[in-house]
Amino acid sequence: MLRKTLLGMGLLFFIMALLLRPAFAQDAYLVGCSMAVTGPGAEIYGPVKDALDIYFKEVNARGGINGHPVKLIIEDNAAQPSKAAADAKKLVTQDKVLLLINASLSSTYAPMVQVAQQFKVPIFFAGGVCPDEVYPPKTDPYQYCSTAFGAKYDSRFALSFIKEEAKGPVKLGLVAMNIPISRGEIDFAEELSKTMGIEAVDKEVTPPPTPDYTPFAAKIKSAGANWAYAWAPWGCEVRVFEALRKLGWEGKYLAYAHINAEDELRRLKDDGFYVFGTNAFFADNSEIHKKIKAASEREKSIFPYTQLAEGWIAATVLEEILKKTPWPPDPEKVRSAMNQLKVDIKGLKGGPLAWTMDNHYRTATYYRVYKWDSKKNGIVIVKDWTRLEVK
Amino acid sequence: MQLIMNTVVLASLYCLICCGYVLIYRASRVLNLAHGELMTIGGYFLFTVTINLFAGPIPSFLLACIFSLTLGFIIYFFLMRFMTGESVFAAVLVTVALGILLRGLMTSIWTSQLWHPLQHLGMENSSHRLMEEAVISTFGIIKILGAAFLYLVLFFCLKFTRWGLRMRAVGENPLLASRRGIKLHKYYAFSWGIAAFSGGFAGMIQACDSGLDPGMFVIGLKAFPVVLVGGLDSLVGVIPGAFIVALAEILAINYISPQASESAPFIVLLAMLLIRPWGLFGTKEELERV
Repeated sequence: MLRKTLLGMGLLFFIMALLLRPAFAQDAYLVGCSMAVTGPGAEIYGPVKDALDIYFKEVNARGGINGHPVKLIIEDNAAQPSKAAADAKKLVTQDKVLLLINASLSSTYAPMVQVAQQFKVPIFFAGGVCPDEVYPPKTDPYQYCSTAFGAKYDSRFALSFIKEEAKGPVKLGLVAMNIPISRGEIDFAEELSKTMGIEAVDKEVTPPPTPDYTPFAAKIKSAGANWAYAWAPWGCEVRVFEALRKLGWEGKYLAYAHINAEDELRRLKDDGFYVFGTNAFFADNSEIHKKIKAASEREKSIFPYTQLAEGWIAATVLEEILKKTPWPPDPEKVRSAMNQLKVDIKGLKGGPLAWTMDNHYRTATYYRVYKWDSKKNGIVIVKDWTRLEVK
Repeated sequence: MQLIMNTVVLASLYCLICCGYVLIYRASRVLNLAHGELMTIGGYFLFTVTINLFAGPIPSFLLACIFSLTLGFIIYFFLMRFMTGESVFAAVLVTVALGILLRGLMTSIWTSQLWHPLQHLGMENSSHRLMEEAVISTFGIIKILGAAFLYLVLFFCLKFTRWGLRMRAVGENPLLASRRGIKLHKYYAFSWGIAAFSGGFAGMIQACDSGLDPGMFVIGLKAFPVVLVGGLDSLVGVIPGAFIVALAEILAINYISPQASESAPFIVLLAMLLIRPWGLFGTKEELERV
């Protein structure tokens, strides 16, 4: 009898726990995140999660946004599409989030976008490659992106920089990883090089991962390349470069600056290794960089503070979105706020990030080039902010 | 010449990795699908020892190798020992689960960042010109010498020492071996220990050569066709298997397309399975279908 009573009470409490929501969650801006905290790409998306956590912990400590706290519900999709789909369903239908955030590989996009479109909840890509649907003119009404790198715009800038910096004939080696986004960008760069009078002498598409990058590097070297351009995950970019140097190649190498680029420039200390990107390095030592560094140390981030810029930018954008979303919020109000957004990224980028109804990437993007300077024993800016209109 | 050099270096890495697959299968007829993770964790042991204990390469490598060896013993005594006598399929599934567990532990402890143990070891991975058109890195040389040394030691021990003889007996006929007083668990544990050591050593060298991240375990899986080409229970077969697969990859990169190098090992494997399913030097027997 006692056993039955206890069982019955236990069941009752369990049902109550399921039905009753904590008051905090009802009073808060609910944002659902499905991220690759583990699995492939976790080295890129893990820091984004950390930065979001740290940023909104501080926002909530200051009283939240419009007097309401922000609650991030973070799920780990381990870069698996099936998990991302399940996360998105759960976040939208059970947790009733206002906005979905995806920080994961592009293979997780389709299932999450499908859920977002079905339930009319906007989805914000933060840290992962921006899908085609965020670029003008045919913008998907539910997809938005703040990630630094942008297909085609990056290569346009990169090749024009190489041509300007080379001051002579360029024999270009191209480096990609065998994933659609990287292959597509390097194929685009190859076509673009022909219109710019740059001779593309070799193109290497490396499998992910590869036990030895030397054979690929050997081909670039034997093709006579004096410059190489890489647009791929960082591991591929830097390993091909190191393999080239081990073979005695003395050319110059330009790679897209992923979040670990700054630390790697310090490790490699090679004057011929250039990185370009749209986020400012911590070597600039601006106020915002000092703030991020202090916050990272205070909250004991498991990632180096130099890798938190991308996530901090996403968090800054998210804060601005929620500030412009009147209470009580709903996904449609959030989307309306996102369609007329202009965010001052406070020195982390070359200019503000602005979204419109027809442009969910940004109206202009700004690039900078850094490299190691052995004479100054530090990282230097080779080319300061260059603005490219996004049309 | 550079093509030959690249093939030799890649084949040496595959030899180091595949030694572990063969030792475990030969001793206990278990296919260890967590070997890639054992390889990666060896790299993380080296990294941890280097930043926390010793900065010098020799003590760091020695201690990390001891950790890898010990891990192999621990895995056997606390997990695989209970699978002795169970079906092969069940044992393989346990190794798959072990691999998932190890991957999760690696990410939890060391995060998913790209680490560079070489930075902390006080060594450089400089390049050396051996012949006119052939350049090799320091860790490329270490891969070749390490593989050669490991195989020589293993061949000698398995052929001429008492424990090597007993280990072979256990692999060929465990029932008879146990009736002759040979302790099966002891020799199975040895095989796991040495396999973890060889895989871990491969991981350490690869980490110094190309950096360290949790995704490195895939290289262990990529090396698997070598084992099947050479013969799953043949240590001798690993050497020609490694050279054939490495050569196929390098030739694919140079003469077909870089992307073809991903499928080249599996094309070689398919061809071998059609012609000689037990491999070049494997034992011709009824192969259990897993």
